[in-house]
Amino acid sequence: MTRAEIFDVVRGNILEVLPDLDPALIEESKSMRDLGANSIDRADILIETMRQFKLSLKVSDFSGITNIGGLVDFLFAKISAR
Amino acid sequence: MPRALREDEVVVTGMGVVTALGVGVDAFTRALRQGNSAPLSEGSMLIRDFDLIAFSNSLHLTGSISPSVRQAARRAPLSLQLSLAAALEAWRNAGLFHDSPYASEQASLIVAGHNLNLRTSYDLAEKLISRLDYVPASHSLHFMDTDQVGFLSEALGIRGEGFTVGGASASGNSGLIQGLRQITGRNARVCAVVGAMTDLSPLEIHSFTAAGAMSPDGICRPFDRDRSGFVYGQGAACLILETAAGARNRGSRPLGILRGGAQCLEANRSAEPSREGEARAMRAAMADAGVLPADVDYVNTHGTASLLGDQVEFDALTDVFGNRFPGVWLNSTKALTGHCLTAAGAVEAAATLIQMNEGFLHPTAGLENPLAAGGRFTGPSSVEAHPRIALSNSFGFGGINTSIVIEHVNEQI
Repeated sequence: MTRAEIFDVVRGNILEVLPDLDPALIEESKSMRDLGANSIDRADILIETMRQFKLSLKVSDFSGITNIGGLVDFLFAKISAR
Repeated sequence: MPRALREDEVVVTGMGVVTALGVGVDAFTRALRQGNSAPLSEGSMLIRDFDLIAFSNSLHLTGSISPSVRQAARRAPLSLQLSLAAALEAWRNAGLFHDSPYASEQASLIVAGHNLNLRTSYDLAEKLISRLDYVPASHSLHFMDTDQVGFLSEALGIRGEGFTVGGASASGNSGLIQGLRQITGRNARVCAVVGAMTDLSPLEIHSFTAAGAMSPDGICRPFDRDRSGFVYGQGAACLILETAAGARNRGSRPLGILRGGAQCLEANRSAEPSREGEARAMRAAMADAGVLPADVDYVNTHGTASLLGDQVEFDALTDVFGNRFPGVWLNSTKALTGHCLTAAGAVEAAATLIQMNEGFLHPTAGLENPLAAGGRFTGPSSVEAHPRIALSNSFGFGGINTSIVIEHVNEQI
């Protein structure tokens, strides 16, 4: 699993939850909140991502992450450590 | 003979309908007149491939719906999508998206229905029973019926009272009765009543079959000797209520008058209907409306094609109308739309108003050999008719009996 593949999955889940979002706006420097995701949306995106990667984490484990790049880094580390 | 409306009478100024029989009021009207039942899918009249965005685009409401509502609606449960579609059509048809004189706190919202989203819970359980840590956060909103109250209040900009009203198959009428009281009790100047769709899971469908309530062959034959139970139908409808004076002041033409309604229980928890209870509800509705049986031209029956239910309703009608009974037109919209369960009363109120305004009564599809003589059922084709005053009945499991009285409006604004 490459970092780019992880980003694609996250990007896909963001678009699943925010279907009217312009995909070009999804950049690693932005946070999901910046893109218009509210707290329930963000939790849904994280949970669906975890389900697809078969990760067992709590939503609260992601609390220190501030943007999409940080999220991809965090997921990459967890997946690589398996 | 046209009569002038009293200022404080409650009128319907907008309607929205989304059913398996037709999506949108115009399509629904054509389908009622044509009189063919909605197509079957797995033995039920289901709404397939509903495109909320295409439907809302067809209403030409760009700018009236916030992007956030549009976006969230796209992945909302089906029942919420249908309620939203019906509410947008009704609010638009009532002319309330532009230049409404009512402040948002003067508008109230009733979502008639309960257990609206059983399907999603079933689907999630099927998929995630061994991995509950993957249950989406959004389920915490969508599992509750009040999700629709919140969502629709945002879509329509409503900040007065709002709540769900429950009555099983009598939810729609119960919601309209509470809506009527919102206006007459001065809780609101305008009230949107949404009959919401019960999205059944296979558990409920099988339970109805086990109870012998659901037709085994998907054919709905109301009041027929060979009736075999109801056919599940999916749909939602919304009616906008306000005073005649309010409608007149803003130049909105009333679609009909909600003269009155009544609801009563029977101290009975079972599914068995009661002749006495149904008759009592009809009499109380007419008393509330200030009309007599002799004034009533048409009854939109509950008519589910239940073996016992149809007989009991027929008997209750003969009790209530007496000598007048042979002169009262009867039909059952459920033969065309299926039994829309919690939405049924609202769908059928809309069907009653449409028929009165268009001057026809739709066929009682599936009725070939009436269970008894003396009932003036419409036949296999639409009939031209101009009923002035109608009853619409809905009776729910647990002895919940309702009837509402609707009067045709002749007055031109």
